[in-house]
Amino acid sequence: MTILGFIRKNALRNRRRALLSVGSVAVSLFLLVTLMTLIRELTIPPEDVGASLRLVVRNKVSLAQPLPYKQLSLLDRIPGVVAVTPFTFFGGNYRDEKVTSFAQFAVDPVRFTNVFVESRSSPGQIAAWIANRTGCLVGMDTMRRYDMKVGDKLKLTGTFYPCDLELKIEGTYQGSVDDRTVFFHHKYLDELTGDPGSVGTWWIRVAAADASGDVVSAINRTFQNTSAEVRAESERSFQMSFVSMWGNIQVLIESICSVVVFTLMLVTVSTMSMAIRERFRELAILKAIGFRRREIFTFILAESFGLAALGGLIGIGGAALFWGLLDVQKLSNGFLVYFEVVPRTMARAALVAALLGVVSAIGPSLAVARTSVVEGLKTLD
Amino acid sequence: MVIPLRYHVRNVVVRWRSTVATLLGIALVVAVFVLLRSLAAGIEKSSAQTGDPRNILVVRKGSQAESSSLVTREQLQALQYLKGIALNAEGKPLISADVITLISAPRAGGTGEANLLIRGVTSRGRELRPQVHLTTGRWLEPGKREVVVAENLARRFAGLEMGGTLKAGMGRLKVVGLFNGGGSAYDSEVWMDADEARLLFEREMYSSLILRPIDDDAYRSLTNTIESDKRFALRAEREVDYYAQQTLTAVPIKILASLLGSAMSIGAVFAAMNTMYAAIGSRTREIGTLRVLGYSKMSILCGFLLEGGLLALLGGFIGVAVSYGLYQYVILRGITFGTMNFQSFSETIFQFSMPPALLLLGLAFSVVVGLIGSILPAWRASQIPVISALKSL
Repeated sequence: MTILGFIRKNALRNRRRALLSVGSVAVSLFLLVTLMTLIRELTIPPEDVGASLRLVVRNKVSLAQPLPYKQLSLLDRIPGVVAVTPFTFFGGNYRDEKVTSFAQFAVDPVRFTNVFVESRSSPGQIAAWIANRTGCLVGMDTMRRYDMKVGDKLKLTGTFYPCDLELKIEGTYQGSVDDRTVFFHHKYLDELTGDPGSVGTWWIRVAAADASGDVVSAINRTFQNTSAEVRAESERSFQMSFVSMWGNIQVLIESICSVVVFTLMLVTVSTMSMAIRERFRELAILKAIGFRRREIFTFILAESFGLAALGGLIGIGGAALFWGLLDVQKLSNGFLVYFEVVPRTMARAALVAALLGVVSAIGPSLAVARTSVVEGLKTLD
Repeated sequence: MVIPLRYHVRNVVVRWRSTVATLLGIALVVAVFVLLRSLAAGIEKSSAQTGDPRNILVVRKGSQAESSSLVTREQLQALQYLKGIALNAEGKPLISADVITLISAPRAGGTGEANLLIRGVTSRGRELRPQVHLTTGRWLEPGKREVVVAENLARRFAGLEMGGTLKAGMGRLKVVGLFNGGGSAYDSEVWMDADEARLLFEREMYSSLILRPIDDDAYRSLTNTIESDKRFALRAEREVDYYAQQTLTAVPIKILASLLGSAMSIGAVFAAMNTMYAAIGSRTREIGTLRVLGYSKMSILCGFLLEGGLLALLGGFIGVAVSYGLYQYVILRGITFGTMNFQSFSETIFQFSMPPALLLLGLAFSVVVGLIGSILPAWRASQIPVISALKSL
């Protein structure tokens, strides 16, 4: 029998236990990957292709405070600004949904297409959308989810605004970072609200990414000491500002992660020592016939490492497959969007599995090393 | 049927070395489950404890939060002379209009920003909310740019301490007092004068109305009048009921608790199974002896189920004790947690809440894990043939 065969036979001699050990490692690593992916989802906003060229301008007070429409002409004249569009969150509910999974924004259609250049859409549909004041552009994800067709009516009940929208779907788009959003004419919203002359935010495209810092300070300076001071920032830092709002939740999930890992260690270590304790006598025989401590340690390590690795493979691979196949967006009603298990997460979980294999081997190995051959042979169970 | 009770109970105690890891594993699973649930319970509790049962809250139909509601000045004018509204000591109707908005403010310790919920109130607005008590400083003066801040919030944001300044664009708001909202949603708010708020944030409209009817009959007639008038398009309900429904924020945490609870319990079941199988494997002879002594197969089965359940219950006790200890520590130290409220988009402060039912749930959870984990091993134990069991080493 080869050494490897010996190790394999040993690991599987108690099939039930091997299965349960692998199972518990797999479940725990599945959980670990899930939690790490959750943290990633909450803390690392996805990056759009054109994000480096885009700026977001909001009222310095807060996102809830509108900006005057008259800022547009000043923004247009700031050097480095290629295109500006108003961008106002409507916050409507679709059908009878309590929480609608897609956001809706009022924009200036012509200006909008100059700011968001990376989304793919057919030119004919864009033209039709621009031409129809009550038309809207709907992301492909939303189209698919609600089984909508171009030409359909889209009714939205306002929660932020005291008015309802009756839109007609004129076109679709895809290839943006979040293909769910609905865009419609700002003029239509103004009409319904009696034209208060305000917008939610401005979204801007700059000429070059390295000039965006200058544009940001130019914008902030322009509206300094006016009744509506602004905060301009890159799209990335705008998205990051939401992360800070999560507050302590991130820390709480992280602590849960460590408890899961700790529990996992505890249980696996105990299983391994159970497996070794059971064959103290055999190990003593091995020692008696001339195997060294180092070799016996290798046997134990290889066995526990093998079991942990197998569990890790099933748990990590299973998590990647499970979350990849599941429509998380639909299940969480749009709360989680991507929930992508990235290689980095998998690698970190694999490291935990490997560590687990090594740590579980240490205790039993020390016990074996400490026991003399005679003592070992005397052990009963 | 007789179960060798003493034998099984003694086993859990005497052979603790082989079970301690499983015990702790179950303890940790229970602790995580109970703590997450108590987190969700804490968030729900702060909204459930908000409001005075005598008050009616009026918001725009279709709005999902007070902050996205709009009430016009005409509506206020029309509503304040309705019959059935209680009068205060000065003979004025107890009705108040609030202005609610957000200010983005830096967190204490320079870790980013979050939104603060600003509530513009009138003096009667304060009268209508007896939950709110001033603890430090003085109350704000109408017509001045002054704010009073919830104590718990003041600790979490830079510049919100007593005497500090809150920036709102060009405006500067001075913190003149701190209040305690008695564990309600007001504990996550900053209050200022309603008219000052309308000026500063250029608001023509109010956000919500709060009023107090004389009695239950007046409550019914007032809500009826307000809701049925098509011109208003307003929704009126008891303030406590309105807040009790604002629980969206707790939903994801509850989902997380269930997901973690179920996944970790599968792991715990595996661990329990492993332990029980090992226990039975090393006690084959003892089982044989018990059978010879006259215990039936059923007794053996139930005995091992009992042992597994007991083992898990011990783990459950430890888990519940750990989470309760942590809860007590957090409460005693006055530690609060904050996250984003999904309805108002502002920072909401909450504490763990651990009702006794939750502790019992944690214990029940552990017993179920233990029983499921021992079914198969216990079955196996009961099926061991007596003769070979006695022969085994």
